[in-house]
Amino acid sequence: MKNIITLFSLILIITSCDIVEGPYEINTENVTPTDTNTYVKKILIEDFTGHTCQNCPSAARELEAIHSLYGDRIIGMALHVSKSFARPYPISQAPKYQYDFRTKWGKEWDDLFGISGIGLPGGMVNRIGYPNEHRLGKDEWLARVISELEKEVDFGISITTSMTGNEVVITINTKILNNINGDYNLVVCLSESNIINWQKDGAEDVEDYKHNHALRSLLSDENLSTSSNYTNADNIEQTISVNLSTHEQFNINYSQNTAELGNGNAGGWDASNMSVIAYIYDNTTQEILQVEEAHLNN
Amino acid sequence: MLKKITYTLILSLLTLNSFSQNNSSEIHGNFDLNMQSYQEDELIGAEAADEIILNNAYLNINYTKGDFVAGLRYESYLNALLDFDDNYKGNGIPFRYASYTIDGLEVTAGNYYEQIGGGLIFRSYENKGLGIDNAMDGIRLKYSPLKGVYLKTFIGKSRTYFTYADGIIRGADAEVNINEALNFESKTRIIIGQGFISRYQSDINPKFKLPQNVAAYSSRLNIINGGWNYSGEYAIKLNDPVGSLTAEGNNYANGNALMSSLTYSKRGFGIIAEMHRVDHMEFRSERAQEKQYIINYIPTLTKQHTYTLLALYPSATQSEGEFGTQIDVFYKIKKGGLLGGKYGTKIIFNFSRINALNGGGSYLNDNEEHNPMFFSVKGEELYYRDINLEVYKKINKRVKVTGILAKQSYNKDVLEGKTPGTYGIVESTIAIADISYKIKKGHTIRIELQELLADGGEGSWSMGLAEYTISPHWFFAVQDMYNWGNDKVSKQLHYVNVNCGFLKGANRIAIGYGKKRAGIFCVGGVCKEVPSSNGFSLTISSSF
Repeated sequence: MKNIITLFSLILIITSCDIVEGPYEINTENVTPTDTNTYVKKILIEDFTGHTCQNCPSAARELEAIHSLYGDRIIGMALHVSKSFARPYPISQAPKYQYDFRTKWGKEWDDLFGISGIGLPGGMVNRIGYPNEHRLGKDEWLARVISELEKEVDFGISITTSMTGNEVVITINTKILNNINGDYNLVVCLSESNIINWQKDGAEDVEDYKHNHALRSLLSDENLSTSSNYTNADNIEQTISVNLSTHEQFNINYSQNTAELGNGNAGGWDASNMSVIAYIYDNTTQEILQVEEAHLNN
Repeated sequence: MLKKITYTLILSLLTLNSFSQNNSSEIHGNFDLNMQSYQEDELIGAEAADEIILNNAYLNINYTKGDFVAGLRYESYLNALLDFDDNYKGNGIPFRYASYTIDGLEVTAGNYYEQIGGGLIFRSYENKGLGIDNAMDGIRLKYSPLKGVYLKTFIGKSRTYFTYADGIIRGADAEVNINEALNFESKTRIIIGQGFISRYQSDINPKFKLPQNVAAYSSRLNIINGGWNYSGEYAIKLNDPVGSLTAEGNNYANGNALMSSLTYSKRGFGIIAEMHRVDHMEFRSERAQEKQYIINYIPTLTKQHTYTLLALYPSATQSEGEFGTQIDVFYKIKKGGLLGGKYGTKIIFNFSRINALNGGGSYLNDNEEHNPMFFSVKGEELYYRDINLEVYKKINKRVKVTGILAKQSYNKDVLEGKTPGTYGIVESTIAIADISYKIKKGHTIRIELQELLADGGEGSWSMGLAEYTISPHWFFAVQDMYNWGNDKVSKQLHYVNVNCGFLKGANRIAIGYGKKRAGIFCVGGVCKEVPSSNGFSLTISSSF
């Protein structure tokens, strides 16, 4: 018996270790699986973040790295949440961290999915794993993305927008790709990229940090259809008319009146940097089944 | 699945009971319940719970028959207390095991807790107070082939909340008591140990080469001679990048840790001198750098205080890099004389200091490499310093007194993971007086007076506690913590708590009401953040 245990331990010790030699980076091009179908599975990574969260930029960089590897199949959304990491600094500390990126919906989703309570950064990939395994650290996003990319797609989403001044008309067309049955919602949001503002990055206060994919507004979250039966090749069309100024003012009011330690400094939207993100989720599992993104003024 | 396992386990217990009547069988267990109500309290920042009342409960049952042991633990989080991770949710039997020993071989299947050496490379344990339970699920073998030689090897997955992490953990350890093994009679006893741990997780990263099998090993030595005791352990972890898609996210450097402790003790006197150096030494059940996956343990090198204000700013071990030293001296002044009095006087002096490694922990990727100097104290960022003196004296048959003076420096930004430069170092001076007075047989009153004068953090605090014990059944306590020195006048608040408890036989019931401040709670350098709360609490402990 002792020989068996000694042998087992020896085998373990000799074989159970890999030492990797540099260079560590493998030369890779875009590794997106080739798919010639009109509609391919796309993935939403929701990155819960805050401008005074020192480790959050590393999560944003992870998101960008995943995006640059898998291209348009990855759609990012940055949700600035919590009093600890996302509240604006008092005016006495101006010009640092005066902006309030938080939104009513970021707070609601943060509360529902319990992300910032455990600390930031944290995120979800298509909200897979709810209710117990959906909150992922940035190092866990990639594995979830890879398994999601393998999944069959039941919905195809296309977005068209037209813009006149502050008035925007958004049309979401959902094409059913299989005969399916379920309780699904369609969500339409606005996000903004290229916002230059302060961000803690490690020990540094970066004045000209580029904030991307910041959630600005939830425009709609409604049942995809009144029926729970969906037939292959059917199309469902939804049109939303939006006045950008109204939504911008809503955020300003929210920051001023509702957000913890907010200051109302939540405006300054730039429509040329904004996108519409539309996704379909399963009301039972919360899983996001398909997502699409289009520039607001495309 | 769990139901099936439990059913099989219970069935096997019953079957076993019926065919082996020779050994007497025993069932033991214990039960814990912690219930708390949460009311909103804007002043202290306490949030109300939607459920109003939250509850954690555990029931352990162990069955023993001769060399056979089996057991399980039922856990219930409906819903988990606010200071617990949300992922503890619902009910389940996450811990079940069966084990037998025959001819010196111990076989365990199912869940088990295990540790290699001091835990530097591996420690699977549970601490409900910290919300930690990284129990293993798998197989463990222990064998002693010769007197003084102890071997163990195990394989399994590590618990994360109600599920298991991806990594497969394999471990082995050998410990040899030289004197026993070689039948060597000597005043000096020597024990050596060698441990090894390895985690397998597949490499799916398309951009970076990742080790699929990450190993760590440690060697330890313990020499005992009379009152002298030396204990040392050195551990190395091989390359363990987190699996990021960014170059700077993956650190390929090896980690290492050294712990060394020398003790001398004789009647009435003891001295412990310790040091440790930790460099990039977090070992996890998955690559991802998340706290729920940590499966090693690096004990802090600071005194574990029990008085509230002494433990207000506790030291959390920084596994990415720290260097620490500690000295602890115990001396008992003999009876008689001015200082010794009728019963003698105990004096404990303790000093500890923790600082950053030079330039931070080891780091290696394609673009950058950093190896900190082995020994560097001067000029390095201070993490924690504590100098304290404790005097314990029994005045007469009725009165006992403990007095403590301490001076602590606490790097709030580093130890609480805050943004650098937010709070800086909190300097505090603390005085404690603990007086216990025995009124009559079975009736004791104990008073604690505590004072913390601080620069930074939440400023100065005072605390008073009165506890009345009617042994063996009752205790009553009232305490008030007052943050009179807070910079913000609106935060100069009282945190009053009232508790009473009843003990009878194996049962203990306690109820309380009060406000708790938000803070850091640590056990042995492992810490968690506790939110402020206001409400009633009920705790029940019972065993059979």
